Amino acid sequence: MSRIIRLAVALFPPAFRREFGSSMRAMAGEEIDRARSRGRLAAWRCTLYTVMNLAGAACAEWVRPTWNVDPSDLSNKTKGHRMRTFEHWLRDLRFAARSLARTPGFAAVTAVTLALAIGANAAIFAVADAVLLRPLPFANADRLMFVAATAPGSEIPGEFGLFDESFPQVRERSHLVEDFALYSAGTGTLRIGDRVERPRLADVTYNLFATLGARPVLGRLPGPDDHGRVALLSYQIWRDWLGRDPNVIGKTFIVDGEPRAIIGVMGPEFGFPSDNIAAWTPFDVRPSADRLGQPGGGAIARVHPGASPDDVARELTGLLRQLPDRYGNNAAYARLLPRLQVVARPLRTEMLGSVTRPLAVLFAAALIVLVIACANVTNLFGVRAENRRHEVAIRQAIGAQRSQIIRSQMTEVIVVAFAAAVLAVVCARVALPVFVALAPVNVPRLAAAAIGFTTIAFTFVLALGSGLVCGVVPALRSSSVRALDMRASTRSVTGRRRWERDALLAGQTALALVLLVGAGLLLRSYARLSHVSPGYSTKDLFTFQFAPKQPRLTDGPSWAQFHLDFMDRLRALPGVQSVGIVDNMPLDEGTESARFMVDGAPEDGAVRLAFTIAGPDYYETMGIKVLAGRGFTRDDALGMRGNVIISRSAAKLLWPNADPIGRRLTSDRAPTWETVVGVVDDVIQENWRRPAQPLVYYPLTGHDPREWMVTSPGYVIRTTRAESIGADVQALVRQVAPEAPVYRAYTMQFLAERQMRDLSFTMLTLGLVSGLAIVLAAVGLYGALSYIVAQRTREIGVRLALGAQPRTVRRMVVRQGAQIVGAGVLAGTIVALGAAPALGRLLFGVAPIDLLTFVAAVAWMIVVGLFASYLPARRASNVDPIVSLRSE
Amino acid sequence: MSPLDYHVLLALSSGALYGYAIKEAVAADSGGTQTPRAGTLYRVIARLITLGWVRETRPEGAIDPHPGLARRYYGLTPAGRTALIAEAKRLKSTAALAQRRLGTAR
Repeated sequence: MSRIIRLAVALFPPAFRREFGSSMRAMAGEEIDRARSRGRLAAWRCTLYTVMNLAGAACAEWVRPTWNVDPSDLSNKTKGHRMRTFEHWLRDLRFAARSLARTPGFAAVTAVTLALAIGANAAIFAVADAVLLRPLPFANADRLMFVAATAPGSEIPGEFGLFDESFPQVRERSHLVEDFALYSAGTGTLRIGDRVERPRLADVTYNLFATLGARPVLGRLPGPDDHGRVALLSYQIWRDWLGRDPNVIGKTFIVDGEPRAIIGVMGPEFGFPSDNIAAWTPFDVRPSADRLGQPGGGAIARVHPGASPDDVARELTGLLRQLPDRYGNNAAYARLLPRLQVVARPLRTEMLGSVTRPLAVLFAAALIVLVIACANVTNLFGVRAENRRHEVAIRQAIGAQRSQIIRSQMTEVIVVAFAAAVLAVVCARVALPVFVALAPVNVPRLAAAAIGFTTIAFTFVLALGSGLVCGVVPALRSSSVRALDMRASTRSVTGRRRWERDALLAGQTALALVLLVGAGLLLRSYARLSHVSPGYSTKDLFTFQFAPKQPRLTDGPSWAQFHLDFMDRLRALPGVQSVGIVDNMPLDEGTESARFMVDGAPEDGAVRLAFTIAGPDYYETMGIKVLAGRGFTRDDALGMRGNVIISRSAAKLLWPNADPIGRRLTSDRAPTWETVVGVVDDVIQENWRRPAQPLVYYPLTGHDPREWMVTSPGYVIRTTRAESIGADVQALVRQVAPEAPVYRAYTMQFLAERQMRDLSFTMLTLGLVSGLAIVLAAVGLYGALSYIVAQRTREIGVRLALGAQPRTVRRMVVRQGAQIVGAGVLAGTIVALGAAPALGRLLFGVAPIDLLTFVAAVAWMIVVGLFASYLPARRASNVDPIVSLRSE
Repeated sequence: MSPLDYHVLLALSSGALYGYAIKEAVAADSGGTQTPRAGTLYRVIARLITLGWVRETRPEGAIDPHPGLARRYYGLTPAGRTALIAEAKRLKSTAALAQRRLGTAR
């Protein structure tokens, strides 16, 4: 809200603002704070009135200054003045409305041009306001930090979560951290009555809510004595599944697969670590010897006021390095702690960092479009003003003051701007839902985006500002006409070139080119990304998961048998070509990692690799190439043989110079030795923008029946009915496991498209915006040249009468357009060269300064520019000399 | 002198005050009939400064600590005090006149 106040204060004359600006802001702030204690509505109302008051007082101060004036000017004027000013205003308004109504085409074109551009800005502003500008919904959110660890040079690349045992260590010993909580999110079974689903759930330490400063709307927060037998529900689940049942507290539901008593319901705005968490289950941190030094989930810290992220990171690094003093040393500590560096960053950055750039790019693009639209409207008003020189000269001759003429012209612009603002709000209302629907799913708080008071205020301020900018030059110019110029204002004038107009046209051409280059770069990135070869096919594949809960499923082999039987039944469905099974479905889930060692390697020769578990026919079904050896068989799945398959890059890493088939490896995941029976092609597991990672595939069972159980793997079906087979699968699951919900049912096509979504969203929006820009630029050029041709009709008629070829006339007009476009393209290329790197990580596989994109954009801009010049040129060459001369 | 000018001078007559406090004092003195918002109030202050009746001063005593932007305090000049006294006298005499007339009219 302080932003609107600041904007309103900015309306005051500079001298007044310098003296009283900050005081007025301080006072407004105090009033709004006071109002806020009476509720949000009161705060909004107070803001509205204060802004209106400030804007009104600013206008009054411009008209009738109280500051930096002679005291005698103050005392002897009476209240009548205000009335007179108001009457003048009304008269100007009537005059402007009448004169605009006489030229409805002009009024419509200018208002719509401004409205489209302002509407685009308003829609993007509404999103930015909801996502970025509003504070996070946590108390004193500026003191919350996200904390993770890195260990450069260890086997863990990048960041990893703090060890669970950091929890007591940091809470008890840190001086900078007030409270510290751990969390991790994943999917789990939620069963309430007959309804079963696998939504996102979060495992959290009991103090997470208090650390964030969040309170439940119902019930209580967990305490240290709850020992993991309780759960808190999200508002959405409480509303949609339980119909806001007020007696839910104390009831027991299955949360994350276990019966837990509901102790609280969180508010609708609370979503942590992401918006879609259905329930929170508190867990106890009990450091056990075999888990010490294992990377964990996420961590947040509430720090004392004034503690910087660097201070916190340094202190926690020290505290974690002291962990062996408390728990004893072990191999994991010995490997990680000497290299450990804790990283801390504001929670805001962590939650919103990734969406800031796309939104900033879109905002910048929308502002550029507004500048282009303003240039067009300025030109249009300039033309109007020139056509009015006659009228203005007459008004001046009969005694109108210059200020009156400026005022009446400005009023016209303001009327147009006001109409544009109203239209823009409508445009934004229509555009916003489309925008939100297209946006990537993971944008936090996007659902809260709405055309609210802030956006409407923003729209009106923007419209008014654009109106003032567009109107001031034409108004000043036209008011400087003197009565003597009346002779010159007849139509016989030959076209004079106005350098400002040419500069405006060249400028908007340049800006349109910048947007075109940006859209082109994103388009190229999109093409590159959609041609990434992930190592598997994405067509004709359907994937889903379900988690049965049956008494006979007790160990690895029983689970494996269950899965194999179920796969047989799937295979019998009509249209199914093959069926595979894997623990972590590519593009849907990440994998875990473990430290791997090969037979005969030295003690410190371990490498950290990702692993997953796969069943028979997986590679064939997914279209993953088997490069050497073989894929898994039924016997591998059931026989507890300990055969593994590795990916090509894992093979290269583990046995750089030897054939891996038949060799053995082990890991800290399972202490047994496994034999490599096959090498398969690399696959991209999670993110198409990153190269494929080395991967080890375990079979469905280990050497020991209790070694691992695959309880909720991803099934993958190759079928031409990928879009429609879901219902058959659901029916089949209901037969074999009526208790288990089917979840994460997708076509591989969908998962692949989801990968492209954040890029395609930005690309699409920027494409639309740059399309708008190029249309506006072309229309501006066309309009200006048409006007010039109309002005030169007589001159052209004379030329044609004297024997000039129509071709020469055409060339003359096109040349004028070409000069403008040429200058614009040159300037635009230079600006684009500087601006393209701002797209940064949005680009994929394309350098920001991509020759092809630049050449194509420039060529397209020139074609459009020349076309816009050619139309008026053709009209010029069609001038009938007789008619044009007679018309004088 | 407008009623608001009068009330601002009156509010400052017992010591220097800052923006929001002036508003509160004015609201209290006027029984809630005058509640100027920031824009209105500071234009009145600007005019009173231009007239030489009010100037920026240091506050008396310690300033209570507060968050946000710095507060600026304003106080009466001797000329302001004179003007306030004159206005109060004028108001008193016109009020007395009104009472007399209404008293006779009744």
